[in-house]
Amino acid sequence: MAHNTGFQPSVIYQDPRAAMRWLEAAFGFEVAIFIEDAAGRFVHCQMRYGDGLVSVGQEWDEPFKSPLKLGGKNTQLTSLTIDSDVDAHCERARAAGAVIVAEPETQFYGDRSYRCRDPEGHYWSVGQTVEEVTREAAEERMPGLKITGWV
Amino acid sequence: MDVPPISPLIFYRDPKAALAFLERAFGFETRLLVDDGQGGVIHSESAFEGHVVMVSGPPSGKWASPLDLDGKRTGSVHVQVPAGLDALCGRARAAGARIEREPADQPYGDRVFTCLDPEGHSWSFGQTLQVMSADEMAKTTGRVIQEKL
Repeated sequence: MAHNTGFQPSVIYQDPRAAMRWLEAAFGFEVAIFIEDAAGRFVHCQMRYGDGLVSVGQEWDEPFKSPLKLGGKNTQLTSLTIDSDVDAHCERARAAGAVIVAEPETQFYGDRSYRCRDPEGHYWSVGQTVEEVTREAAEERMPGLKITGWV
Repeated sequence: MDVPPISPLIFYRDPKAALAFLERAFGFETRLLVDDGQGGVIHSESAFEGHVVMVSGPPSGKWASPLDLDGKRTGSVHVQVPAGLDALCGRARAAGARIEREPADQPYGDRVFTCLDPEGHSWSFGQTLQVMSADEMAKTTGRVIQEKL
């Protein structure tokens, strides 16, 4: 297995091979490890992005479903933090067929980010820190929010 | 803020209870909480070994807890730990996690357990016992293993 410490989301697809190709084209993910059985069936895939890993999974067990089977609902989202141009990242994803649901915008907490939907309906958020914002400044910009633990 | 390159964001009907569970069961630490003032959590970060998982809810629209989907889920989260996997499983069980697969050595060199949290999100935890090459894994698992497409 490919390893890092920390959190590794697994994202479930009806067609994991197509998802692997799409994630490579849209985001520049690279295959870290790809496992097939002796009959050539998909078993497991981990893709690398920077220091992080994402598992591309299939509907291997009843509770694990693509959003395509759940009316487009998602129980989790994957967030990517990049240190390069978010707008260019977004254009690459759009060109690969991502549906951009929130165009790149600088957020009150100092990140510039966009959000998109992949071909099976999973959501991805991509952001770059463009401004260091203090908790006080963030609360001033967003009255009504109570923020604890901002460092 | 120090943010790792890939972080899952997980949706809960009761995000504050979820954050408390993640601390109690897995030893994560809530390091950021953005409260909407109505019991909901707009954004939060629960940290472990310098990495974060984000918790938000209650979900609406395209977001859902597995509780809203008859236990179904569109993903899961794997956590690679440096040591203490069996003790972590005991701690999670004591905190109310439903252990689905007990800690067991895997043919690819890791020891792994999996569990469900109170809202039905799936978690797996792994500890590397032996670092194996793709060729070694192919031998022990009987699979075809590639490191490039």
